[in-house]
Amino acid sequence: MTDTTDFEAKRDIADIAVERYKQGRLTRRGFIAAMGALGILPALGSKVSAQAKEIVVVNWGGTAKDVLEEVLAETYTAETGIPVVIDGSGPSAGKIRAMVESGAVVWDLCDSGAGSAIILEQQGVTQPIDYSIVDKSKVLEGTAYNNGVGNYIYSYVLATNPKMLGGNVPQNWADVWNTKDFPGMRTFRKSVRGMLESATMAQGIAPEEVYAVLDTEDGIAAAIAKFRELRENIIVWGSGSDSQNLFLQEEVAIGNIWSTRAHLLKDQMDEGSFQVTFNGGVMAPGIWVVPKDNPAGTEEVMKFIAHAQKPELQVKWLELLGSGPINPAAASMVPAELEKWNPTSPENLATQILYNDEWYAKHQIAAEEMYVDALIN
Amino acid sequence: MGRLNEKVSYWMLVAPALTIMIVFYILPVLGIWEIAFTEPTTGVDNFVKMAESSAVKTSFVLTFRVAAITTVGCLLLGYIVAYSISNFANKFTPLMLALVILPFWVSVLIRSFSWIVLLGRSGLVNDTLRDAGIIESPLRLMHNEFGVLIAMIHVMLPFAILPMMTNMRGISDAYVKAARGLGASEWTAFWNVYFPQTIPGVMSGALLVFVLSLGFYVTPALLGGGRVLMISEYITYQIQEFLNWGLGSALSVGLLIATALVLLIASRFINLRSALLERK
Repeated sequence: MTDTTDFEAKRDIADIAVERYKQGRLTRRGFIAAMGALGILPALGSKVSAQAKEIVVVNWGGTAKDVLEEVLAETYTAETGIPVVIDGSGPSAGKIRAMVESGAVVWDLCDSGAGSAIILEQQGVTQPIDYSIVDKSKVLEGTAYNNGVGNYIYSYVLATNPKMLGGNVPQNWADVWNTKDFPGMRTFRKSVRGMLESATMAQGIAPEEVYAVLDTEDGIAAAIAKFRELRENIIVWGSGSDSQNLFLQEEVAIGNIWSTRAHLLKDQMDEGSFQVTFNGGVMAPGIWVVPKDNPAGTEEVMKFIAHAQKPELQVKWLELLGSGPINPAAASMVPAELEKWNPTSPENLATQILYNDEWYAKHQIAAEEMYVDALIN
Repeated sequence: MGRLNEKVSYWMLVAPALTIMIVFYILPVLGIWEIAFTEPTTGVDNFVKMAESSAVKTSFVLTFRVAAITTVGCLLLGYIVAYSISNFANKFTPLMLALVILPFWVSVLIRSFSWIVLLGRSGLVNDTLRDAGIIESPLRLMHNEFGVLIAMIHVMLPFAILPMMTNMRGISDAYVKAARGLGASEWTAFWNVYFPQTIPGVMSGALLVFVLSLGFYVTPALLGGGRVLMISEYITYQIQEFLNWGLGSALSVGLLIATALVLLIASRFINLRSALLERK
C-alpha cells in the first residue's frame, strides 16, 4: 500500500496562503491566483448541490480517501442508513472560505489542520463543535478547539536504519547531531516545520520547554545554528515521498520524517533496517471542521464526528494508513505488533510534544528564511 | 507596390509565431513584472528584501557559479567532440551526429533520474567501485554540487556541440594545410590558424549553455539534495511553499536582469551578432 498523495504538504501550502491573505501580505487577487495555481479553485462548484440526508466528508484523496470510505463511511451507513460520500478534493482553508462566502456550501465535514481551524474560526466561516454530542474526552488534550476537533495524529519522528549504522542507533536528537559516533547522512524537511523543535531538543532542552525557548530570538538563532553545524551531513526532503525514497535507496541512515511515511517504510524495508523512535517527536493533529450552513445540518455532522471517535475505527485507521488515533482510549486496542508505531500510545505520548500552531503563525516566515540560509550559505 | 506586398507577406509569415509569443509569453512575463512591484504592497519592497537576504545572495552566486562551470565543462568536452566529427569521422559522421542528438529524445527529467540510479549511494558507480575493491565506503557523488554539475554538463552538452560543429564545418581545411605547408607545427597550425576561426561557434555555444543553465530547474532540484538551491528552485520554493508571489516574481525579474547584464558584458568582448546570427 503506497499513499502517493502528499496531503499534509498540500494542506500546508493552502494554510500558508490563507494566513498570508489574513495578514494582508497577499492581495485578494494574489490569493485567488495562488489557489488557482494550486489547482484548488477550479474544483469549486463542480458539484452543484449535495442531496439532503447525506453527509459529504472531504479529505485529501489518495489511499486516505479509500480508507475513510471503508472505515468511517460504510460503518456509519450500516448503522444509521444515512449515506456518506467521501470527496478527496482537498478541503483547503481557502476553498472552505470561498465556498461559505459564495453561499453554495456542499461540504459537511472537512479534514483540516489546527492552523486552518483557528483562522477559519476567526473568519467566521465554520461552526462551533457541539461538545454535547462530540465527546471532548475522546480526543487528545489540546486538540479540541471551539470550531474544530482532532481526528488523527501524525508525528515528526526520528527514523533510523540500524543496518547502515552497524546497530549503533541514535536514541535522541542530540545523538543525531553527533556525527562522530553516528556517521552518515541525515534527512530533514525542506521547511522548519517539526525541524527546529528537534534542533532545540538536541541542545539538551526539555521537550516541554521547546516552544518557550523558540519563542525568543536567541532560541531560533540557536536552532538555526545547529543546522548550519550539521549541514554537510544533510539531504533535504521536499515531499513525504522524497523522505521515503531517501530511506529506501539507503541515501540516508537517519532522518526526521512523518510517522505516516515511517509506517509505509517499516513494511518496505528489510527486517532490521528500519526503526523509529517517538522520543522527542512532534505530534501534528488533523482537525475536523464543519463549514457554516452545511447541507446536512449541524446535528447530523456532529453525530458523524462522534461516530469517527470510536476507538476500534481509529485503530483500523492506524493499521491502514499509519495515522495515529486521536482517541487515547484506542491505544489499548492496538495490535501488539503495531503498538510501537502508534504515535498516540501511552509510551509514545509521554515523550512527544504537540505541534504549536501559534508559534508558527508568529515566527515561521522569518525562521524559514534563516533556515534556507543556514543550509546553503 | 511590389515592396509593400513583400512587407505584408513578411509580416504574414511572422504573425502566427509572433502572436503566440505575445499572448502566451510576453503578456504573462509583464504580469510577473507587475506582481513583483505590486504585491504585497506597491513599490520596490520585494527588491529591497531580496537585496538584504543573504540566502538570496548565496543562491544567485551559486546559480552563476554552477552555470559558469557547466559552460566551461561543456565547451571543453563539446569542442573535442565537434572537432572530431567535423574533421575526422567521415564514415561515422551521421552516426556520431545521431548520438549527439539522441539525448534530446529523452526528457530531462528521465535523464536526471538516470543519474540518480548511477550516482546514488548504492548506485551503479558506487557498487561497481566497491565490488572492484577500489573504495571501501560509497563516494558522495550526488546530493551535492558535484552531482548537479555532472548531470547538467550531460544535459547541456548538445547545446555546446551543435553550434560549434556548424561553425567548424564551414571552415575550409585549406588554411590549416597552408599553415602546415609553410612549416607550422601541428599545434601551431591548430592554435593560431584553426582555433581563431572557431571562436564564433565557441561563443554561441557558450552563451546558449550559460543562459539555459541559469534558469535550470529539474536537474539541480533532483540531484542537489536541497542544498544546491539555484534561483529557479528558490522561486518555486517561494511561490509553492509560501505563496509569496511578490518575492518569487521579484527573483525572476532579478534573474532576467542579471542574465541581460551578462549578455551586455559579453557583447563588449565578443561580437554577438556574428556569434549568434551570422554563423557560417
